[in-house]
Amino acid sequence: MAMIQDIFSSFVALVPVTLAQSLILAFVVLGIMIPFRMLSFPDLTSEGAFPLGGCVAGVLLAAGQSPLTAIAAALIAGFAAGCCTAYIHLRFRIHTLLAGILMMTMLYSINLRIMGRSNLSVFGMESLFNWSPFGQPGFPSTKIVIAGAIGLLVLVLLYLYFKTERGTGVRAVGSNPDMAEAQGINVWTATIGGVGLASAFSALSGSLMVQSQGFADVNMGLGILINGLAALMIGEAITGKQTVLRQLAAPFVGAVVYYQLVSLCLAAGMPPPDLKLATGLFVLLMLALPSLKRGRAPGAAREVMRE
Amino acid sequence: MLEIKSARKVFFKGQADEKIALDGLSLSLKTGDFGVVIGSNGAGKSSMLNAISGALILDSGKVQINETDVTGMPVYKRAAKLARVFQDPMKGTAASMTVAENMLLADLRSQKRRLRQGLNATRLAAYKERLALLGLGLENRLDTRVELLSGGQRQSLSLIMAVGGEPELLLLDEHTAALDPRTADIVMKATVRAVEALKLTTLMVTHNMQHAVDYGNRILMLDAGKVRLEIGGEEKKQTSVADLIGHFAVKTDRMLLAS
Ligand SMILES: Nc1ncnc2c1ncn2[C@@H]1O[C@H](COP(=O)(O)OP(=O)(O)OP(=O)(O)O)[C@@H](O)[C@H]1O
Ligand SMILES: [Mg+2]
Repeated sequence: MAMIQDIFSSFVALVPVTLAQSLILAFVVLGIMIPFRMLSFPDLTSEGAFPLGGCVAGVLLAAGQSPLTAIAAALIAGFAAGCCTAYIHLRFRIHTLLAGILMMTMLYSINLRIMGRSNLSVFGMESLFNWSPFGQPGFPSTKIVIAGAIGLLVLVLLYLYFKTERGTGVRAVGSNPDMAEAQGINVWTATIGGVGLASAFSALSGSLMVQSQGFADVNMGLGILINGLAALMIGEAITGKQTVLRQLAAPFVGAVVYYQLVSLCLAAGMPPPDLKLATGLFVLLMLALPSLKRGRAPGAAREVMRE
Repeated sequence: MLEIKSARKVFFKGQADEKIALDGLSLSLKTGDFGVVIGSNGAGKSSMLNAISGALILDSGKVQINETDVTGMPVYKRAAKLARVFQDPMKGTAASMTVAENMLLADLRSQKRRLRQGLNATRLAAYKERLALLGLGLENRLDTRVELLSGGQRQSLSLIMAVGGEPELLLLDEHTAALDPRTADIVMKATVRAVEALKLTTLMVTHNMQHAVDYGNRILMLDAGKVRLEIGGEEKKQTSVADLIGHFAVKTDRMLLAS
């Protein structure tokens, strides 16, 4: 009994910190969801775009630039990276996943080049989280409010966008590219722009993370993709994905729930090294579920992929 | 209106399984014409439609729509001029989107898509009205995702989408072939009604000789990538199903002799 209480109290103590972290990482989950669900473009770029955003922001912050400049630069860099992945896929007919792996591998070198070393402290430099009119700078509550507000703003803007004439066209590209093209939609522009936007969100997440933790590291993206996927699966299980709003809310809800679950597991004594294995098995289970439900016969690989 | 000049397309050129899909095909259609395209499997009917829509890039030859040379134009640019319904109901609609959203996509085919609200009350009312013409109850399912509709309902929706926005040219590729007789009849009637009401220039591929006799003002028979036979005007009115089948028979005999 005492042990359970112990676990519980150490979990509760971490709730605010974890919440702040998850609201920042929600943007990576969004960056994974958009290509995967809205564009039918399973994409791995986020694993490289997240540290890219972090490195770009880190270098600028360390040079004394304003956090807004750092975030803007991260967004642009992320957007460019996503555009490259989409272009590689479209132009050379390379599978989206392979295009993403290529991009993420190349980004590792680029990130190192940008920083000039493998990690960089921005501790004590100006950060978005110091600007809060409420709460103490740097405390979880401040981060929760700021990251949450940005998240809400992004959610509303994306929702409005996907309901516009142009946004509906972009969704059609994800649903049926041949049909979209026959309806006068430029599939290239929509795909490149959409994947670019998604990577920009991943980079945004990286730039916020650097400001939150006080340092940038080229390895900060390691495993972010599988965490993001797990968060997305949880989010979709909770919100569903029948409507645009539900689909857009899934990354945010999923990130919050997933990282609390991880924190709970750690509090319960799961050794941190096992975390990736557990996450991987969880994602595998979620992906396998439809085929398990359908019966013993293995589903078509592509179908399972897309679920 | 539509002008195809010696269109040629060879698949797997220079290889053992070389296939000549279009062999110097020429065709011209006047504004308001309703051409029915017939011909045996592999004659090049779909290839011709693909060449017009831009889905197929010609090896040589030219395609003109209303005096504009569209030969080098990508599919999405040609879409401003033409609409298309495929044989496969899955191809013509965006499955994960709603009926109303699909209507919106087709509605804006020839317009610039802007950053303003897509589905508004005016549009929804208009879509409702247009779908009601089918009498399939689709007008009450505007918010249903298309993947939940039956094949026939999807195809009917594809047709309403295609004739909306008054395309300069309507291309129909065996668009009732995958439907049960009753739904096929509904879709065919709706097609004829729309084509007549909007005076659409149309090319319809069919294997149904009765349809070829009943509808349209011209019959184009394709064979081995060429227009083998053209029947128009008064002659078309006199043509019976038996006559058309006769033309197929002649062709088969010739093929037998040749082989
Ligand atoms: N993408 C392709 N790759 C290779 N060959 C093709 C392709 N598309 C068509 N062909 C070939 O071109 C020829 C004409 O095909 P097409 O689909 O135009 O015929 P069709 O008249 O539409 O026949 P059907 O009545 O069966 O629909 C056929 O020999 C076919 O095998
Ligand atoms: Mg065909």
